[in-house]
Amino acid sequence: MAHFEIKNLSFSYPGNDRKILDNINLTIEKGSYITLCGKSGCGKTTLLKHLKSVITPHGNREGTVYFDGRPIEESDLRTQSSKIGYVMQNPDNQIVTDKVWHELAFGLESLGYDQKTIRLRVAEMASYFGIQQWFHKNVTELSGGQKQLLNLASIMAMQPEVLILDEPTSQLDPIAASDFLNTVRKINLELGTTVIITEHRLEDVYYCADRVIVMDKGRIIADDTPRNVGDTLKNTNDDMFAALPSPVQIYYGVGSDLLTPLTVREGRNWLSEEFEGKNITHDEIITGEKMKEDFDVAVTMKEVWFRYEKDAPDILKGVTLSVERGKVFAIVGGNGTGKSTTVKSLCGIVKPYRGKILINGKYIEKYKQNELFTNNLAMLPQDPQSLFVKKTVYEDLEEMLPKGLSEDEKKEKITEVANITQITDLLDTHPYDLSGGEQQRAALGKVLLTNPKILILDEPTKGIDNFFKLKFAEIIEELKKSGVTIIMVSHDVEFCAKHADTVSMFFDGSVVTTNTPNAFFSQNSFYTTAANRMSRHLFKNAVTNEDVIELCRKNR
Amino acid sequence: MKSDAFSEYNPIINFAFFIGAIGLGMFFTHPAFAACSVFFSALYLYTIKGRESLKFIGGMGIMFIVLSLINGLFNSMGETVLFVYFGRNYTLEALLYGMCTSAMLISVFLWFASYNSIMSNDKFMFIFGRIIPSGSLIISMALRLVTIYKNKIIQIHTARKCIGKGAADENDRISALKNGSTVISTLATWALEGGVITADSMRMRGYGLPGRTTFSNYRFGMRDKALLGGMVLLSAVIIFCAAMGASSAEFIPVINITSGGIYFYAGLISYILFLSIAPIINITEAVRWRILRSRI
Repeated sequence: MAHFEIKNLSFSYPGNDRKILDNINLTIEKGSYITLCGKSGCGKTTLLKHLKSVITPHGNREGTVYFDGRPIEESDLRTQSSKIGYVMQNPDNQIVTDKVWHELAFGLESLGYDQKTIRLRVAEMASYFGIQQWFHKNVTELSGGQKQLLNLASIMAMQPEVLILDEPTSQLDPIAASDFLNTVRKINLELGTTVIITEHRLEDVYYCADRVIVMDKGRIIADDTPRNVGDTLKNTNDDMFAALPSPVQIYYGVGSDLLTPLTVREGRNWLSEEFEGKNITHDEIITGEKMKEDFDVAVTMKEVWFRYEKDAPDILKGVTLSVERGKVFAIVGGNGTGKSTTVKSLCGIVKPYRGKILINGKYIEKYKQNELFTNNLAMLPQDPQSLFVKKTVYEDLEEMLPKGLSEDEKKEKITEVANITQITDLLDTHPYDLSGGEQQRAALGKVLLTNPKILILDEPTKGIDNFFKLKFAEIIEELKKSGVTIIMVSHDVEFCAKHADTVSMFFDGSVVTTNTPNAFFSQNSFYTTAANRMSRHLFKNAVTNEDVIELCRKNR
Repeated sequence: MKSDAFSEYNPIINFAFFIGAIGLGMFFTHPAFAACSVFFSALYLYTIKGRESLKFIGGMGIMFIVLSLINGLFNSMGETVLFVYFGRNYTLEALLYGMCTSAMLISVFLWFASYNSIMSNDKFMFIFGRIIPSGSLIISMALRLVTIYKNKIIQIHTARKCIGKGAADENDRISALKNGSTVISTLATWALEGGVITADSMRMRGYGLPGRTTFSNYRFGMRDKALLGGMVLLSAVIIFCAAMGASSAEFIPVINITSGGIYFYAGLISYILFLSIAPIINITEAVRWRILRSRI
């Protein structure tokens, strides 16, 4: 039986002719797992919001959404609250109360259950989601992953029949994201709850979906099983193809008659089958990259130690690294290993109690106030929103320019930077109305107006989709060409493998190893790209999707 | 010795006990009653905090001596003159009166010290959430926002500093003020944006439906009922006896303190029983654990 049925749904915002949703027809079966994907701004979120009329935006609407066979407007707030669960993107703002236990009970309180029922449901949820250990904590003490798990649990406490998730893991690190998505998968399998999910990182939601629906410009362009969706995208040469999981991309890149692999395991088997009985003549990518011994140094850290308080444990334990001028230096590693603190120390935000930091050959203490940040060094923060202080992107960029420039000069500079960061069309928009990827680029524009020689990026790919990632990578390449040194902290293994010149791994407050991305990722067996994990039994050092495809073709 | 079994009772019990102990303690200047209050309040604090509390109790002791002596300096009424200073009489009555009132005062302080470590925000919210449910939700939401806003201010400040937009010179008041106002206005935009999402999140979970209930983590079990009954009964006896003059004490001009009669004994014993509830519960618990442990 159909759980949701959408018939000829179109939607546009008042005073704007552009159709956000354009004649959508869709049937969602009970108990199915649906992955909805598409570029930012393709109408995914708007579509999801139509599945719960309490939060449906106002505007011009045609067509009908049926829930359980009846138009959704007919089901009241009580039915919708309990039966349709909705988890949003931002872990923080969804939380209402200050205590974990209170948050779990919030929805049940609204529905008017008595003490006994709430106690039981809360206990059930806490046990199912493994929340007991932090049940009595304040919500502000939780990590991002825990917060999002709490949001999920407090929705599940109302025992919904459908669970709608709108990019739930975009603000989480990969490990927390996997944990979260596995829990969602478990709910679908064990409770039979219908799941409708949108995601940027498709690795964890693609293979387990019953159907993958791809949207573009308000239309559904593909609606098929995960194994077949790739065909449609490949044939139409769609941008979304780049967002598919590595095994799928490699499969289509190489071309094969076998079944499409969806996971790393299937990818391995597929490669083995593909090359069964064949001699592998080329098993290595020749990169010519090598770690240089001495080079022109932009940033040096020598034995840097830091702790927040006198009696607190050390966060940095003898960090030593040097960054070559004009290169992209990536810092990877788990949460709480000191990556962010390291870049904070480069900006002088935290002051080490031992060790030396040299920026462009000069001790960091010798820089006068703000001298460090003029034409020298700048950082793009993890949350780009914290840089926006004005009503439009243009004004925000204008704020960065020195006083005393004429309007024309200002305009020229702003246009120049807007061209580099590809935000020319967005200059009159309010920064908060931009999508994650656009905010990222607008904020980068602001940072670039300080004319930095050294640019620090803190988690630059967090919360942006693959399409915007590619754009961002282009910008980084451009900056690199113009001689800017880039230091980036990232969880995004794939991105680092592709775009960094040097990769350093952090663990327990210091650098464990530093190498070229190819050497670095082909040495590792867990902390490496999907492409490498999938091909390491055949090829020595294929790290990116392109590497694997190239070697496969050579061996044909 | 540290034990806090009493705080594990229902918050209503905790709160009722402190209301009783502090409320009654404020009215009794009768030396026997005041002495009981001081003794039990100090004992209770000791059972909660152990050696740590001795410093505070010691401080209260000094305060008691000072306040007791001072009263005699300003109040020279009374019949029994102990000595004369600068032409004024220092009387026994004034000294005694000072002792009793300052005993009353320090016992209230001591009770409050225990109150502070027992009555957490959670418990307070639980009690008042039953009286004004929406008010308690607002407080709960506000408590969360305080921390979030604080962190966000630091985040914005750091982000701006790293692009050279921090206060140009932190010692310059005007530039610091300008920078501060930018940070605050950014925070306001951000908070409004977040508020919309929070409001959505509340509506999605049925906020605004009629018949909202309030959930709490605390049970009101048998032992709570029994204890509450006992406390009500004891305080009724105490108040009745006090009304009958059991605790009347006059110091000036002549010392006239009740020291006998059925009401006096009934009232005093009930008072002792009442005040000993919390410390006795803690002590029995500690002893029980010691015995259990020694058996292992």
